[in-house]
Amino acid sequence: MSDARPAGSLDLERFVRERRSRWTRLESLLDAVERLPDHELGATRLLELVRLYRQTCSDLNEARSGTANAALLARLNTLAGRGYRIVYRRSHGRRFTEEAREFFATGAPLAFRRERSYVLAAATAFVLGALLGLGAVIADPANAERLIPPQFHTESPRARVERIEASEERISSLEEAAEFSSFLFSHNIQVSFLAFSLGALTLIGGAWILFYNGVLLGAVAASYLIDGVPAFFMAWVGPHGALELPAIVFGGAAGLRLGSALLLPGPLATGTALRRALPSVWRMLLLTAVVLVAAGLVEGSFSQMTARTIPYPAKIAVAALLFAGLLGWLFARRGAPEAA
Amino acid sequence: MKAERSRVVLTPEHVLILLEPAGLGSRFVAFSVDLALVLGATVVVSQLASAIPGGAGAVVRALVLLILNWGYHVYFEVRHQGQSPGKRIVGIRVVDGRGLPLGLEQSFVRNVVRVIDALPIGYALGAIACHLDSRRRRLGDIAADTLVVRERRTLDLERRASRARAWNSLRTPRLVRLARHRVGLEERELLSALCLRADALDDAARVGLMEDVGRHYRERLGIDDPHLSGEGVVYGLAGALFPDRLGSPAAAGRGGRSPGPGSRR
Repeated sequence: MSDARPAGSLDLERFVRERRSRWTRLESLLDAVERLPDHELGATRLLELVRLYRQTCSDLNEARSGTANAALLARLNTLAGRGYRIVYRRSHGRRFTEEAREFFATGAPLAFRRERSYVLAAATAFVLGALLGLGAVIADPANAERLIPPQFHTESPRARVERIEASEERISSLEEAAEFSSFLFSHNIQVSFLAFSLGALTLIGGAWILFYNGVLLGAVAASYLIDGVPAFFMAWVGPHGALELPAIVFGGAAGLRLGSALLLPGPLATGTALRRALPSVWRMLLLTAVVLVAAGLVEGSFSQMTARTIPYPAKIAVAALLFAGLLGWLFARRGAPEAA
Repeated sequence: MKAERSRVVLTPEHVLILLEPAGLGSRFVAFSVDLALVLGATVVVSQLASAIPGGAGAVVRALVLLILNWGYHVYFEVRHQGQSPGKRIVGIRVVDGRGLPLGLEQSFVRNVVRVIDALPIGYALGAIACHLDSRRRRLGDIAADTLVVRERRTLDLERRASRARAWNSLRTPRLVRLARHRVGLEERELLSALCLRADALDDAARVGLMEDVGRHYRERLGIDDPHLSGEGVVYGLAGALFPDRLGSPAAAGRGGRSPGPGSRR
């Protein structure tokens, strides 16, 4: 009675005894491939891996139909899953330098041109906010106090200009500049990644952050304008703002792009929509971070110099140059990328 | 296996692979290990950078830490098949939602969205998302369509079977012969599954079930040891039926600890 094998059932002991050696072998091959990422297995072992994977797949099917043994099924399932990831993965990674060159030369600019409508949308939100802030403060200077958080308006813009321009250089040594720059770009990247994530998960949240930051900028700019010191503002915010403000918009745009895939996938499955968005999104994000590092370095050193060291027109010209270079690199029709 | 939470992938071989989501606990442990490693590296980098004179030190330090903080997980997820050192220790892995290895872009996005998951403090938002999501994804996983899966390496069965051998009070030649004769394959399968899953039951349910099953076999096999609980009968029977299950052939010989009535836990 015990030897008669009922239909659909499996002699588990024999099944495992006969096949476990191939499972163990597959496991060790997988360990080798996974642990040594750039390690080539060699053709023979690779073919062996594929063969063992296929056999394990069939073992899994057989086991599923023959037994409910949770531990065995879980092990085979894990093994087949790991094999599947190796056998059907995309081509293995390129060299890092090659990857980086591709990113700056074509990858990032192409991503930005492909997603320019999102960049435009993000920029619109930001500029609308800026115009609103500007308009509100010009219409009624008292609005500045309502719009700008209290810790920022300790003195009037004109008083601030006089104090700063009369005092010593704020950044007296290279160390200080480096310290300050490092703080700035670390912080700014944190903030813009937060804005990105908020945009990606909620769309509205990302647009709102862009808009709000625009309002703040506009309000501050207006209060300097009213006090009659717009050149100071341009010269002090311009050089790094030319990089930082686009970077904030880029991060926001990447968030909007991902958010639209996540929340408004249209006829596509969400996974498909996401996968279409991801290649440009991550490039836009990485570029945001790179530009923010550059902006931080400028802000920590160059932007902090007073008119006695570098006259305002020179600082403003540098700002314009940086801005044009950045946008030209990313959005100009492909000729020679000049600012890379 | 919590099949109802798993995502199913159909491979070209027409095999269904279940991606079983890892729970919050194992992810937390893995993350703690990784965090400790990152913090350790941070200290080392800071020390090294302070040796660089002038302004370069601060910038180098900030850049390296920036890359370390944002790149640590991305590097391991992309280059080491979804396993950072912490995840490797715990036995979990990040994979693409379709069962493939996750790409650089997915890893990048899921780790950037980490800033939201970490809000407002101690990954509270991520943990809540993890709890609510049917596949235990944090927000970053949702945004990048990734999944943290549990992997089972060792065959638990082997360990459990060797434990079953300890309850071997039923391994008398007469009873073993009787059991082999009367207990069919399907029943053995059920017995083995019962032993394997017993720990997942709460105590009352387990004891109740074991008593029922034990009573059944007591009658069928004529076991008249009054000191043996139902659980003792089931484990003893499993040990007698599967003496060398999955183990090395040598294990079969060493199996039996000399049985005494009521030699249970």
